[in-house]
Amino acid sequence: MVDQSEQGLVKIKKAPHFLKNWATSIVKSQSFRIFIVMVVMCVVMWIISPPFRTSTNILSVAKNFSTYAIAGIGVTLVIITGGIDLSIGSIFGLTGVIATMMFAKFNIPAFPAVLIGLALGTLLGLVNGLFVVRANLPPFIATLGMLSIARSLAYIITKGYPVVGLGKEILFLGQGDILKIPTPIWLMAVIAIIFSIFLNKTITGRRIYALGGNEEATKISGINTDRLKLLVYSIGGCLYAFSGIITASKLGVGQPTAGNGYELDAIAAVVIGGASLTGGAGTIAGTVIGAAIMGILRNALVLLSIRSHWQQFVIGWVIIIAVILDQLRVAKN
Amino acid sequence: MKKLLLVTLLVVLVAGGLLFAAGAKEKERVIAVVPQQLGNVVFLPAEEGMKAAGKDFGVKVLWEAPTKAEAQLQVEVMEGLIERGVSAIAISCNHPDALAGVINQAIAAGIAVSTFDADSPGSNRQFFAGTNNYQAGYICGEEMLRLYKDHKKDRIRVALLEGIPGAFDIESRKKGFKDAVAGSNIEVVYEGACDDDVDKSVIIVEDYTRANPNIDAWFMAGGWPYVVQPGAMPEYTKWKQSDPQNHMVVTMDVFPSSKEFFDMGLIDSAVDQSFYDMGYLSVKNLLNVLDGKPIEGLEIITMDDEGVVYNIPSIDTGTRIVTPDNYKTEIK
Repeated sequence: MVDQSEQGLVKIKKAPHFLKNWATSIVKSQSFRIFIVMVVMCVVMWIISPPFRTSTNILSVAKNFSTYAIAGIGVTLVIITGGIDLSIGSIFGLTGVIATMMFAKFNIPAFPAVLIGLALGTLLGLVNGLFVVRANLPPFIATLGMLSIARSLAYIITKGYPVVGLGKEILFLGQGDILKIPTPIWLMAVIAIIFSIFLNKTITGRRIYALGGNEEATKISGINTDRLKLLVYSIGGCLYAFSGIITASKLGVGQPTAGNGYELDAIAAVVIGGASLTGGAGTIAGTVIGAAIMGILRNALVLLSIRSHWQQFVIGWVIIIAVILDQLRVAKN
Repeated sequence: MKKLLLVTLLVVLVAGGLLFAAGAKEKERVIAVVPQQLGNVVFLPAEEGMKAAGKDFGVKVLWEAPTKAEAQLQVEVMEGLIERGVSAIAISCNHPDALAGVINQAIAAGIAVSTFDADSPGSNRQFFAGTNNYQAGYICGEEMLRLYKDHKKDRIRVALLEGIPGAFDIESRKKGFKDAVAGSNIEVVYEGACDDDVDKSVIIVEDYTRANPNIDAWFMAGGWPYVVQPGAMPEYTKWKQSDPQNHMVVTMDVFPSSKEFFDMGLIDSAVDQSFYDMGYLSVKNLLNVLDGKPIEGLEIITMDDEGVVYNIPSIDTGTRIVTPDNYKTEIK
């Protein structure tokens, strides 16, 4: 029988052990390694480029990569299940113009207008999921089709014209700030926390990882994998829409061409962040750090006056090196 | 079995529809106008001009373009129009040489073809309607010289914003600008490419201006940043308003949204090509070609392209220069 004082002593003795295990798991994680890469990049830029150090620049970089991160969080869930989503940029563009049109042309208040945009994004994501689950289309094909459909709808609805006349109620999302920190950064942080908890602390979140790890085994264990897939594609669509609406607000204009090619940037952020394209692995923190790395790279190229031609070259190499390092880590473990 | 039958039926229906559509050539006169890309705001006035001409002259008009500004995609659009048997095509070429072949193919098929905005001098097109991009860039350079003519600085450092690196029309504008300022104290010290993406254009301008507040001027080879609201560009606004007499901005293109930038003193000169006239006069004169009438306003311009001399039948749609003095009347 252990008395109270001994219980307390056992707890104290276990505490450092717990902290040590926690710290070890953090250090061994892919997210930590990528975080170190990001820190090194920042230190290098800090040294060689004084303009990088300013709080205005750092906040601007964070504001710019936050929309990629939000879209990236959406596709992280899809990629963890072993899927892919190429319709990110098109849903981003279409929902941006729909939300702005609701506000600017139909005089719908800002909050409902944003909700309409988010609902549309969720619906389009759900349609992607239905193509995958009910029509048994490979995710690549299903979302490739949606890429064209959503983009065409954006052109058809706007006839190619940008949507202007956005008032300050909706501009706050992209151009406002809270405690001097731009609103998009707050939104990214909140979404990252919510979905990190969702993935790591909820049963559904664990099932999403299980699905990506081994779909057959997950099915056999009685989990409705179809419903999980519908869920992740729907959430993805909602987050791509949110990213598109924030960008439209940031620029003060809804454009049917917005988001062209953004799927590659969002997926690159996820891959750099350590997610496996075969499924079963990936973290929200990793995606955010991956988006941050791409944002810092872009900023660095401008600050160092390096020609934009090199941008895609550098980002391509960063993706390849990130995946190679991750494969080496997995092989070692 | 049921599924297989359904799929087969679907395939037959779609294929049948496509075959029917493909076989159905245009019965009435149709004039197609092909800009470089769908959704590029710069071309929207050309579409309006096209529609107005279609209404004025009672002819069916079509606006067809690829979703990306790529020559190969534009060739495919042209091939589709040839198959449809349209009467005439006006095209703004993504690349002068890459489109020459399909332009000649259309002409051989009995279709009248003209170019607008971006020409294909090596093709057999009937005429070119527009202002040469090199000349437009040159005018921008002259405007920059004008703005700095009373300044005594040894070196005026200009940052340049371009679209897709290597895009022929933007490269022509850049060359024109640099040729105009050659030998002066104006020098391009930075070139940033936004890939024709408005969001990226804003990020590049903001990041570079924040890092280089001592830059003297910006030359925007395309008006991408002015599609947005000025509130999206606080660094640029701060830079411009901190020294409005010495920090200058010259840009190509004028949009309705440019008015707000002029209101805040954020643009010093905008060189606008009349895309509306390009669209309108292209349709009008292609009809003249089809009716055997003379092309209105035609003149032959000689162009020397790195040793190759072209005589270009041109309809000059002119440029207009919008400044803080006249923007209120010029921008509707």
